[in-house]
Amino acid sequence: MDDRRTVPLMTGPGRTGAVRPDRPDRGTRIASLVGAARQGSEDALGQIVTELSPLLWQVARATGLSAGDAEDVLQTVWLRLVAHLDGIHDSAALTGWLVTTTRREAWRVRAAGRKQVPADHETLDELPAAGPGSEEQVIVDDERRMLWAAIGRLSARCQELLRIIAFAPRPDYTAVADALGMPVGSIGPTRGRCLAKLRALLADETGGAWRDAS
Amino acid sequence: MTLPDADLPSADEPLDDSDFGLLGEIRDMFAAADPMPAELPDRIRFLLAFRDLEIEVARLTAEPGELVAARGTEQSRTITFDSTTLTIMIRIDANKDGTVRVDGWLAPAQRREIEMKCAADPLSVTSDEQGRFAFPRVPRGTAQLVVRPAGPEETGRSVVTPALIF
Repeated sequence: MDDRRTVPLMTGPGRTGAVRPDRPDRGTRIASLVGAARQGSEDALGQIVTELSPLLWQVARATGLSAGDAEDVLQTVWLRLVAHLDGIHDSAALTGWLVTTTRREAWRVRAAGRKQVPADHETLDELPAAGPGSEEQVIVDDERRMLWAAIGRLSARCQELLRIIAFAPRPDYTAVADALGMPVGSIGPTRGRCLAKLRALLADETGGAWRDAS
Repeated sequence: MTLPDADLPSADEPLDDSDFGLLGEIRDMFAAADPMPAELPDRIRFLLAFRDLEIEVARLTAEPGELVAARGTEQSRTITFDSTTLTIMIRIDANKDGTVRVDGWLAPAQRREIEMKCAADPLSVTSDEQGRFAFPRVPRGTAQLVVRPAGPEETGRSVVTPALIF
């Protein structure tokens, strides 16, 4: 039983959505989608929307906006992108522009005093309750709670950075960190202090088990 | 808490597989705790189809959550949208045949051409001098209102609502 506690965080069965190496042609694909969208292709623009909206959702919500306001912000940002496509030629520029504009618009809406929810997502309460599931599921939930708790001990800036970076395409990490106003080297190509701190906290909380498993 | 060991990962090292694994976990966690509404990208794609028009996007002033809840519920509900030039109020009632009836009012009252983009072919009506309009049967699904100038000789911007789900 005890060895179950040392199941590595990132290799549990049945994981979905884990970060995978981006296909090497992603940058090329995005650049050609942007080009096609500039020529008026609804489908190309739609593919970009589908691919990057989950990232922008986290950017908007991380500012503490309500879900309804976050939806409005995303709609505004995508409409605005259409007018700015001429100046955007690669994936990093696209991702950076979208993150910058979403964050700025989200803060503008917040400042306008619309109804909002406090930005205290970092509570265990908001994690979906562990339903009846397999023991493996329980272990996954335990690990997730541990990770959630560790993230909650990071600075607000690090929490925002990691939450958003986790949804970003890997080659665009630097562009995203830059769009968030984080210093050069905060993440990508180096680990940066936020991830280093998180790994130290996890290693500490698991008595080294997490580090050993990795 | 003890101090981190000397051999703990340093901030200056390149990202490794453990970092990517950890970011994948963080992504899964937030995707579960605060998921983007699954239909949002489709609604945005829908909205972008209007991008060549000179438009104002009206803002929802009712509870956003009620829009989604409107699906499958029987009671009528009223939703208000505001833009800088126009207020659009609509009441949605369920028809027995599974469609919905949409009654609307424009303020200030005026004649405008009103189009309902929906799952089927777009529906089009004209508001009366009191700003009233009605779509007796609208299929359930994603829909969006576009309020245009009443005729080619009329001026004024078109106003589009965010996408609705009936």
